[in-house]
Amino acid sequence: MMAVFEKGETLRYIGHLDLMRTVQRALRRSNLPVKYSNGFNPHIRLSFAAPLSVGVVGRRELMEVPVEEGVTEKQFVEAFNRVSPECLQIVMARSISDEFPTLMSLVAGSRYTIRLMASPEADMAAEAFDRFMALDHYVATRRTKSGENPCDIRPFIKEGNIAKTADGYEIKLETVTFANGALKPSLWFECLCTFAGCDKPHHIIYRDAILAQPENGPLMPMEEYPHA
Amino acid sequence: MPVTIDQLLERVEKPSRYTGGEMNAVVKPISEAEVSFAFCFPDIYEVAMSNLAIKILYGILNDLPYAVCERCCMPWVDMRKELMDHQIPLFSLESRTPLKDFDIVGFTLQYEMSYTNILDMLHLGGIPIQSAQRSEADPIVCVGGPCAFNLEPLHAFVDAVMIGDGEEQIVEFTNAVRNGRKQGLSRMEILRSLTKIEGVYIPCLYEDAYNEDGTLKSLTPVDETVPAVINKRIQVNMDEAYCPTHPPVPYTQVVFDRIMLEIMRGCTRGCRFCQAGMLYRPVRERSVDKLCEMACESVSNTGYEEISLSSLSSSDYSHITELATRLTSDLKDKRVSLSLPSLRVDKFVQDTLTQTQQVKKSSLTFAPEAGTQRLRDVINKGVTEENLMETLGNAFSNGWSAVKLYFMTGLPTETDEDLAGIADLAQKSAGAYYAVPKGQRVKGLRITCSASVFVPKPFTPFQWCAQDRPEEVQRKQQMVRELFRPLKSARFNYHDSAISRIEACFAVGDRRLSKVLYRAWELGCVLDGWNEYFRYDLWLQAFADCGLNVDFYAHRVRSKDEVLPWDHINAYIDKSFLWREYEKAMRAETTRDCREGCNGCGLQKVKGVCSVCG
Ligand code: SF4
Repeated sequence: MMAVFEKGETLRYIGHLDLMRTVQRALRRSNLPVKYSNGFNPHIRLSFAAPLSVGVVGRRELMEVPVEEGVTEKQFVEAFNRVSPECLQIVMARSISDEFPTLMSLVAGSRYTIRLMASPEADMAAEAFDRFMALDHYVATRRTKSGENPCDIRPFIKEGNIAKTADGYEIKLETVTFANGALKPSLWFECLCTFAGCDKPHHIIYRDAILAQPENGPLMPMEEYPHA
Repeated sequence: MPVTIDQLLERVEKPSRYTGGEMNAVVKPISEAEVSFAFCFPDIYEVAMSNLAIKILYGILNDLPYAVCERCCMPWVDMRKELMDHQIPLFSLESRTPLKDFDIVGFTLQYEMSYTNILDMLHLGGIPIQSAQRSEADPIVCVGGPCAFNLEPLHAFVDAVMIGDGEEQIVEFTNAVRNGRKQGLSRMEILRSLTKIEGVYIPCLYEDAYNEDGTLKSLTPVDETVPAVINKRIQVNMDEAYCPTHPPVPYTQVVFDRIMLEIMRGCTRGCRFCQAGMLYRPVRERSVDKLCEMACESVSNTGYEEISLSSLSSSDYSHITELATRLTSDLKDKRVSLSLPSLRVDKFVQDTLTQTQQVKKSSLTFAPEAGTQRLRDVINKGVTEENLMETLGNAFSNGWSAVKLYFMTGLPTETDEDLAGIADLAQKSAGAYYAVPKGQRVKGLRITCSASVFVPKPFTPFQWCAQDRPEEVQRKQQMVRELFRPLKSARFNYHDSAISRIEACFAVGDRRLSKVLYRAWELGCVLDGWNEYFRYDLWLQAFADCGLNVDFYAHRVRSKDEVLPWDHINAYIDKSFLWREYEKAMRAETTRDCREGCNGCGLQKVKGVCSVCG
């Protein structure tokens, strides 16, 4: 079963492994006929399409949970949501066959919204936005397990725009994922602020979708990826 | 623009400590509640959420239609600083209500070294630290838990104390505050009305006086309407007690991240250093049926993947084998593992061992507490070397290879020979491992011996004893360490003597220590239970500033007739029984387990409470 779920504001500080365990516990509460790994310490089989960075709210995150045959999408959603806190609810589920590629292998990009609360810093960042997007290259320092690496972040950005809202600004960002990794939206935002010469304004980042790209097709939310 | 809580959260290391919203967290509209209770834990979230009392009492209070109970924990250093810098009052996890806006603020006292955190949380929460300075609008600050049995060092900061089991008491207490508020009673009137509840102690209604030598002369009620003695509450029937089967499930890993099934309360062993063993008498078991029912409910409500049995001495549970068998089969389908933590060396039978490993193999822990039979007799730890070796042999041939052994140094009458016995036991444990044929044992033997420092505790036969002086503690620790050097697969860990010294002062201290506590907090002591934040120098300064002497509290042998600061608390354990036990200890004479016959601790005088003596 593939399920689109929301990782709400309360949960945005929970790391990947903690989220795994939280979903596994919800699944155990739900009594759904899930499948377990073998071995001495059996755990519920579960995978996520792409880990969400800590601090980011997930609006349409994706998980895959193998279940015994006969469980309908509706049953799955209802059973899960009944025993899961408000900030961790499934939006929709889709039965997928065993031949369906692993979610992780499908990730081609992400869509983000960054909400900036009105402040002088936010104005500065907004003012610099177009100039920043017009750059062909921007080298940032990426912190990875193997140390700090300089990295050009511009190629990761497919599209971006900014709009004024009632309480500040809203940036929309579409990123693409390469074999060597994805871009953290927080790093991109940090770079924007450095470029604008301002402190980071108070903001919240949302991931709106995880994208996949069928052969010769357009980027699309992964949950719409055609059946194999 | 003022900074919001959300903004603070972005700046701290683990925001999830403060966000709540867990499965089973109860969010009721606090403004509509007739009475609100902030259940505070004077340590960080990860420790708090591992505590059984909070699960029980949080559930009980929130089941009351008229009450709301929310949780609050000690913030970690980073968050604490943010709160102070931005003058945001410490708030509850559920509705982010500042502590000062609750009707009742209750702390559970599990450990003396968390006392400065209580002062700090009150202060951060916008409540005057000193009880005497609180106004009509301020919450009533109450405490409970094992350390509440000698509350005196905290008396200046606490309005009310609940002694003993909290299940019924906390409801009566909360209801009385609710009624008092409804009737427009003053703070003092409410406190006085609380004295009518069995188990409730109101410190400000008692006065202390001292002898010339500094010992306590008396601690007596201010007038005759106040009870001279406060009886602890006892939850007699555990099957009728509230079962915490739907506690909040933390998102992040906490210390005990599993279902804790309280199989019984109390202990029949009578170890002479053990405060819990005396305070929680008599032993009261839950039935196997009840426990299986609780386990199933807990799994469906929490989704936890592990259950541990919780009690002072789980292998003493009368139906331990039946329980382990039934739980194992009930939980198999859900792949929930069962672990038995507080194993007792002398009781644990091989078939139970095989039972647990079927599901999960956790590391084994044993607590011989002392290195020689003589000293184990002194402390009445009914464990022999033979028992230990036999059990270890079984464990090693059943696939275990890691064991932890717990000891105490500085026990009354201890000699260097007793200390050498610790290394000796470690070596013999290794011998038990190598005695198992190579093919049958699992590789990687690890023996970890940990030694805490003996701390005299109220309501134990050792309440009159002195703690070793720090130099002596360190000498002993170094000596054992040297003896461990040649042992390849064994490690020796030991506790900080300085922390244990301050702990001893507050365990057996009197009212005058309130000043020291306040001064220490003023000087910057908080989170003392965390080694890296414990400031011995500041503590010593606090004692000096208040003109009090650490030696007087920690390293002094008390006489039989000395008035003790907890003499007005009735834990149903006779002082004469404790003294008898003390004298027997000095002669290295043991006392039988209560199940072999009543030892006349005092509880036998209360009808129908102790099931062991009928
Ligand atoms: S009354 Fe007797 S049997 Fe019961 S706890 Fe006390 S000594 Fe043990």
